[in-house]
Amino acid sequence: MFDAPHSILLCEISRHAIETPDKVALVEGDFQVTYAQLMARIEQTARALLALGLKPGDRIVLAAQKELSFVYHYFAAHLLGVVNVVVDVASPRDRLDYIIDVVKPSALFSSGLEGVNGVPCYSFNRPESDDAHSADLTWPTVDVNDVADVMFTTGTTGVPKGVCLTHANIAGSASNTNGFIGTCSDDIEALALPLSHSFGLGRLRCVLMAGATLVLVGNFANLKSFFSVLDAWHVSGFGMVPAVWQYIKRLSGRRIARFAEQLKYIEIGSAALPLEDKRLLMEIFPNTRLCMHYGLTEASRAMFTEFHANAGNLEAVGRPASSLVEASIRDDDGNLVANGVDGEICVRGNMVTRSYFKPQDNAGSFYGDWFRTGDWGHRDDEGNFYLTGRKKELINVGGEKVSPATIEDAIRSLGIADCACIAVPDPNGVLGEVPKAFLQKDDNQVTFEDIKQQLTQLLPPHEIPVEWEWVDSIPRTSSGKIQRLKLKQ
Amino acid sequence: MDSKVKEIIARVLNVAFDRITDDLSSGDIPEWDSVGNLAIISTIEQELDLEFPLEDLFDLTSVRSIVEEVEKLTNV
Repeated sequence: MFDAPHSILLCEISRHAIETPDKVALVEGDFQVTYAQLMARIEQTARALLALGLKPGDRIVLAAQKELSFVYHYFAAHLLGVVNVVVDVASPRDRLDYIIDVVKPSALFSSGLEGVNGVPCYSFNRPESDDAHSADLTWPTVDVNDVADVMFTTGTTGVPKGVCLTHANIAGSASNTNGFIGTCSDDIEALALPLSHSFGLGRLRCVLMAGATLVLVGNFANLKSFFSVLDAWHVSGFGMVPAVWQYIKRLSGRRIARFAEQLKYIEIGSAALPLEDKRLLMEIFPNTRLCMHYGLTEASRAMFTEFHANAGNLEAVGRPASSLVEASIRDDDGNLVANGVDGEICVRGNMVTRSYFKPQDNAGSFYGDWFRTGDWGHRDDEGNFYLTGRKKELINVGGEKVSPATIEDAIRSLGIADCACIAVPDPNGVLGEVPKAFLQKDDNQVTFEDIKQQLTQLLPPHEIPVEWEWVDSIPRTSSGKIQRLKLKQ
Repeated sequence: MDSKVKEIIARVLNVAFDRITDDLSSGDIPEWDSVGNLAIISTIEQELDLEFPLEDLFDLTSVRSIVEEVEKLTNV
């Protein structure tokens, strides 16, 4: 058993390894790993990390791919008190460079990246160290409130912010989520969400904490393949973002209805879901728990609602996820406002970050121990919370948060005098929001098509604006900030 | 038509043309995710002036199946 009292997650995995050693914990293609094997491989990987000289508090960058060895490294770092900085393997190079510059990692683990900025880079499939089977080691002492993971989110200024999550935070979020959804050891879940994002990584933790089985699936692109996994493993639950639901509807119609009886739960989150889709899901899955979360990387799964149980109130984002989570609505001075009055949604609880990696990012993010979400909403007399808008300006493209500043910088680099981007509803009704660009007209004869073509070299496809408009000038405040609200009018 | 469809797929996914083999399927490479798949479908429809029947979309999971579907719809 792991001697890791700082990590409830590791203690739970360890308990499952003792109580149900032969139970399958993880599946990747033809490979299956039992809980006993999972525990052994986490320990082997931890010994290999120790052999590299890593010690508590050191940071390692994990360029996440959906593979078993990522999972071993992720939990091995927790065992040692080494801090995981989880990034998308497809991150743009400048984002990765920035993250590395900020966290100054001791090593980078990846199956696809080369060494970056002189940081030693290792493959996830690195062979075991020579002393992998040596006598028992004394694992380092780590505190439950030490940082376990740093997840980089996109700030409104376009500069990524590192969110520090402690061992207590990530276990708290998993425990709250399992308590609400009801995931238990009998469940078999399919994971097609990326592990580099808070949602997908959270599902991994929830399933392993519950002692259930997680089947790793590439992504949702190939629905035929995803459905065959649901069939083959008799999957009882999965997570998806609203854009994936639109995708499933568009490409497969109602074919997913044939899994209605076997699916015990579906977790939905990361963006708003239209009311008609909530009703359609309820119709297709009459006996499935349809659990939608509201949360941020800084406060994962802060609130939940279940559609069937709240059929008369589908507009609400829900209530706090557990008795250990609180939510409130506050004005610009941090004072509580009355029920029904709009203000900023603030949350506190076991899963809420205590700090950003750069302490200066904490400015304006907290009222005491209350985290300010930047989202606007209100509370009713029954304690249900409603989201009425987003104070922050990120564009939520199918669950991918896009900073308008990133797009604007790219457009300006093409010689456009000034520009501004805002979120507009996806005209195809699939992605939720898409970027719209306003460009300042000058004597330049460049066309929108020209700009789009050049942006393909600078931005990933989902960050390229879908709508375009010429304007005489970009509205700005006296201090030079873009007045995006004026552009939305 | 084979190379035209492959050219569109490579351009939409922003990957090298020679990676777009007949057997490549959606989900095989990180670039070909659900957003990429939708972009492929809409770009082919737009540039080749055709419309995939809704009931066929579910089966368009590989480069080969997309090429065959386009050839069927354009009577090549």
